[in-house]
Amino acid sequence: MPPLPPVPRFLRRLLTVLAAALLLLLLPAAAREASSASAEITVRVLLPAPFHDATTRELPQFHRDHPGVNLELVRGPLDTDAIQDLAIGSLLLGDTPFDIMMMDVSWMPLFTAAGWLSPLEPYLGAGMLAAMEPGARPGNSFDGHLWRMPYSGDTGLLFWRTDLMPLPPRTTDELVRISRDLQRSGRVRWGYLWQGRQYEGLSCVMLEVIHAFGGRWWNPASGRTELDRPSALQAARWLEDLVKEGITPPSVAGFAENEALQQFAAGEAAFLRNWPYAWKVIENGGGPVVGHVGVAPVVVAPGQEAGGTLGTWGFSLLRGSAHPREAAEAIRWLTGPEMQRSLALNEGYAPTWTALYEDEALQKGAPLLAVQRQALAAGPLLRPPTPLYAQLSDVMQRQANAMITGQSDAVSAMSAAQARSDALIRAMTGTPR
Amino acid sequence: MIPLLAVDLLLMLPALLLLGVVFLLPLLRDAWLSLHASTVVTGLMAVPNGAANWWRLFDDARFRQDAFQTVRFTGVSVALELVLGLGLALLLHRPGRGRALLRALVLLPWALPTTVMALGWRWILNDPHGPLNGLLQAVGLPTFGFLTTPSTTWLAVVVADVWKTTPFVALLLLAGLQSIPVDLVEALQLEGAGRLTILRRLTLPLLAPWIALALLFRIAQSLGVFDLIQVLTGGGPAGSTESLAMYAYRQSLRFLDFGYGATVLMATFLLLLLPGVIWLLLQNRLPRRTA
Repeated sequence: MPPLPPVPRFLRRLLTVLAAALLLLLLPAAAREASSASAEITVRVLLPAPFHDATTRELPQFHRDHPGVNLELVRGPLDTDAIQDLAIGSLLLGDTPFDIMMMDVSWMPLFTAAGWLSPLEPYLGAGMLAAMEPGARPGNSFDGHLWRMPYSGDTGLLFWRTDLMPLPPRTTDELVRISRDLQRSGRVRWGYLWQGRQYEGLSCVMLEVIHAFGGRWWNPASGRTELDRPSALQAARWLEDLVKEGITPPSVAGFAENEALQQFAAGEAAFLRNWPYAWKVIENGGGPVVGHVGVAPVVVAPGQEAGGTLGTWGFSLLRGSAHPREAAEAIRWLTGPEMQRSLALNEGYAPTWTALYEDEALQKGAPLLAVQRQALAAGPLLRPPTPLYAQLSDVMQRQANAMITGQSDAVSAMSAAQARSDALIRAMTGTPR
Repeated sequence: MIPLLAVDLLLMLPALLLLGVVFLLPLLRDAWLSLHASTVVTGLMAVPNGAANWWRLFDDARFRQDAFQTVRFTGVSVALELVLGLGLALLLHRPGRGRALLRALVLLPWALPTTVMALGWRWILNDPHGPLNGLLQAVGLPTFGFLTTPSTTWLAVVVADVWKTTPFVALLLLAGLQSIPVDLVEALQLEGAGRLTILRRLTLPLLAPWIALALLFRIAQSLGVFDLIQVLTGGGPAGSTESLAMYAYRQSLRFLDFGYGATVLMATFLLLLLPGVIWLLLQNRLPRRTA
């Protein structure tokens, strides 16, 4: 048998490098193994980037109060639609790496129907929502179970320029009149900015405006939409006219929250529709309108009741969690009064706990509190609470965006939205024609 | 002694198994799912519902619109990429100084991740703050909603796609150009043929199989376009840029309607099969080179 040829030098080097790389890869895993041996339980939470950053600030307090539990906040994408896709993707795997998921109020019916959540009342008790503002309670319980604890009580609000007018408008007519006067006198380029891009934010605007004209998107009794009713048509026409008459720029068709906020912060408009966080962003941004921004409930047609879209986020316990008790305790802390006090002071989010609204020290640090409570008391609007909401919203976004871009008009957009919603509900529930 | 056919089959077995697992099984599963209702209403269980999904598909104006939009996007962008890619390949094939650098530069857009470049285009085309609208304003023109005009936004998507994928076509065709023997070109030159004649009589015929290959790759990829549009427009405005792949994705992963999502996917697959079949037929008609 001939002797084996010597291993070439480059091959030996390559093998050394590979071995070193393998060792480096294995080391962290071994370290993790060692730390879990010290009986520490890890609870993983998936949450959108801005909430992740706001919550992380308070995290050391949790770890002081809860020895033995390691709360790991996982930073997801910023965009609501993107994080929903991520959440659904991880849940469809069957074995999700998360224990807790931060949930938008509009996802709740779908996620509970899919059977992905565990009820919270066995761990937290049945009366958790009782100490909250009545307007902050909807969207958390279905079928007698508590599926989510709200992190904030945010609703859609109207931001207005205190340097351009003494008082904010209350009605749609007043908003149009003030905008027109200011634009004519050249004091401001645009009147009213909102979200018109084909995405979930446009559905929030539509829900608000339809309600502002006395209509409703969804009839819970019949399980159908009511988008071809006169009030919904009037609402759509109002938005259509805002763009046609130049009170709202045509580029609103591409605006999400941030685009609208930036243009308002640059001093280019008299009014902005957005969520509470916008106020802190504008005030901290150092733009020309700092110190001149007021906040009010959204406008409604004369004689109608005010109401903004409920845009709250909250935490739900996932069914696959290996540590439901510890995770539920983490949810209690994540949504508790101390967390919400910090969020109100630092981010301007609306609290849900009634006690916080009555706290005088907090009122001084969070000037939006009074109007936020007013908006919650006005009966904030829930997006259609059906597992089919994602489809219904998709239909609405396409049709409303077609109207805003001038591809269609208010009447045909709303009748098409109604017809498509009907067809969809028929196809999904098997209701005969 | 083992018969030759058995050896052939045995050698092909691993590849066939792999194809079966990653291609045939999912396809069969998808076809099966398209005959079932599987939604949150059914508790995410597959319940047979006959051809209900397929009837719904034939009645679905949005599917037809998306099919038209996908084919339109594919036709226009692939045609542009072919013409530009051919020009680029001819340019890069010419000897000259700095050719290596030029080749590297041309490849750059293709090397960029699609999502990154789509986000870049989204900023470039922003109305009114993007640089393109800045240019328009600088020369005294009004701004234009590149991403908010339903009749023209698909062209913005085409531009972004052409920008990114022309290098890929150019690279393929460049490889083809380099496989053409130089002595053939020189022979034609000796006989006094001009550049255009050489291109028409020699280069293009010999390049034909490479062009067909580039077309096949690009058409198959374009018909399944997803990431570029998802990031650039999200399918908007007013659904005017949504592709079939996006529609199928939304049905399954956003709406949890797996039965109908599978149906849309199956229909898309059948649509994709068409250019493949056409290519096979064409390939048989191309002059075969004798080895």
